[in-house]
Amino acid sequence: MTPATLQNYLIVGAVLFVLGMIGFLCRRNMILMFLSAEMMLQGVAINLVSFAHYRGNLQGQVFVLFMLTVAACEAAIALALVLILYKSRKTLDVSVWQDLREPDLEPVEDEEPLPPPPPQERLPRLPPAAPAPPQPQEPSHV
Amino acid sequence: MTPPLLQVPHTSRTAGAADLVTQYWPVLLPVALGFAAVYLLLPRARRYPPLWGAAAAGLALAAAGSLLIRHETDLAESILFYIFAGLAISFGGLMICQRNPVHAALSFAMVVLSTCGLFLLQAAPFLMAATIIIYAGAIVVTFLFVIMLAQQAGLSSADQRSHEPFLATVAGFILLASLLCVLQKSYTSLDHFVERAERAAQASTVAEWQAILGKDESFFTEFREAVRPDRHPRRQDANDPTVVARTNLKNALENAATTWSALTPGEDGKAGQFGPDTVTTFKGQLEKVVEKAHSLRQMQGSLQPAENLPLSTASGTPPNKPAAIVDGKPVERLPAGNAAGLGRALFTDYLLAVELAGTLLLVATIGAIAIAGRRPEGLR
Repeated sequence: MTPATLQNYLIVGAVLFVLGMIGFLCRRNMILMFLSAEMMLQGVAINLVSFAHYRGNLQGQVFVLFMLTVAACEAAIALALVLILYKSRKTLDVSVWQDLREPDLEPVEDEEPLPPPPPQERLPRLPPAAPAPPQPQEPSHV
Repeated sequence: MTPPLLQVPHTSRTAGAADLVTQYWPVLLPVALGFAAVYLLLPRARRYPPLWGAAAAGLALAAAGSLLIRHETDLAESILFYIFAGLAISFGGLMICQRNPVHAALSFAMVVLSTCGLFLLQAAPFLMAATIIIYAGAIVVTFLFVIMLAQQAGLSSADQRSHEPFLATVAGFILLASLLCVLQKSYTSLDHFVERAERAAQASTVAEWQAILGKDESFFTEFREAVRPDRHPRRQDANDPTVVARTNLKNALENAATTWSALTPGEDGKAGQFGPDTVTTFKGQLEKVVEKAHSLRQMQGSLQPAENLPLSTASGTPPNKPAAIVDGKPVERLPAGNAAGLGRALFTDYLLAVELAGTLLLVATIGAIAIAGRRPEGLR
């Protein structure tokens, strides 16, 4: 493995890390925030494995194994916490917890209203005790 | 062709922002395109047309792919690398831009699978299996269960908005740009010189050399400046392998430069006095320069373990040492001995860490049960 090859893997790791960081900073769904943190861990794991390959020994891979352990623990605890938070406020949005912010910070408020949801297509309903209403049938080619 | 990255002399230490852009535009272009793509695609109340973001993302991926350099690797490995890296990055971008959390979790599973492909390319088959089982098999499924439990009413308004999308994207991509610039600077600064020296070592007449190296000593001066051993003031240990390699290369360059000055015409335009021996000597010196430069490029940044470092052989054999003998048999090199080597390393060098990790898992299990297991009193 040449330094140029090592550099390619380091670039991939850096991009994954940064994408995870952006996701953690700006998504508001708690589950997505934890998924983004896991993606940052994946970027770091790529770095460690490529260094292990470059140096020709297993130290980086052993480190990634411990990272897997810690990630599993983190996921278990985090999901338990997410369930607790969801039970108390009935939403996964982190911004409902912004009353925990520093006392001198302004609360974040949503300015733009959301677009109206698309109108739901009405499904055909069977009238009670009557034959089924005629529906357009596609020609069958079986 | 000269990469534009390397045309700027190394003396411009106090380069301004404009210099930075001219120096690193091949790196900054995909970063800027990626910034535009992620910013346009992040969920918000009034969305931009997704086609713009997708176009920017495609351009960014193409620019980044053309930036990557492949040296001396076989074609199959390059193709597999491009496939896995492209899948990992595009599904990573898709994950943070998805409104539907279920789709995001599935994209994350795809990121994990592509990462496992990259692990396999890097001779880590055990880690690949472990990551697929733990991440794709356990963690993503648990996430999906939680989403299913918590979001039975469909999309919530939290998924349709982002928190400060501009500032978050700027912060992320500034970090990415600086990481990529540092990587580019430390890993490709020698390539251009090495490539010219290789071409010169192939040639054997003064005219050909003048076409490659120029009519004066500027090639040797710039090369020497790029590998000066004291460019890293913190690493002044004379026994450090990197310093030794740099000094060797510098000496080889100085020898070659002396011979070259005899071969080139002087100030008056007349060719200097030289015989056929000088040409042969110069060719030999150029070959020496190429050899030393290759060995320096192999160990650049002193990433290879030092010869005399007391590393245990349980973690595999460093590439600069002969294979160690354990129980009368040589230790297998990567990747053939991957799983066996990992096991040996875990239970010799890292035994305490393994015990700690087991304890951590136990504590996390108990903690998760204690946190999430509370039920309302009426259900007991």
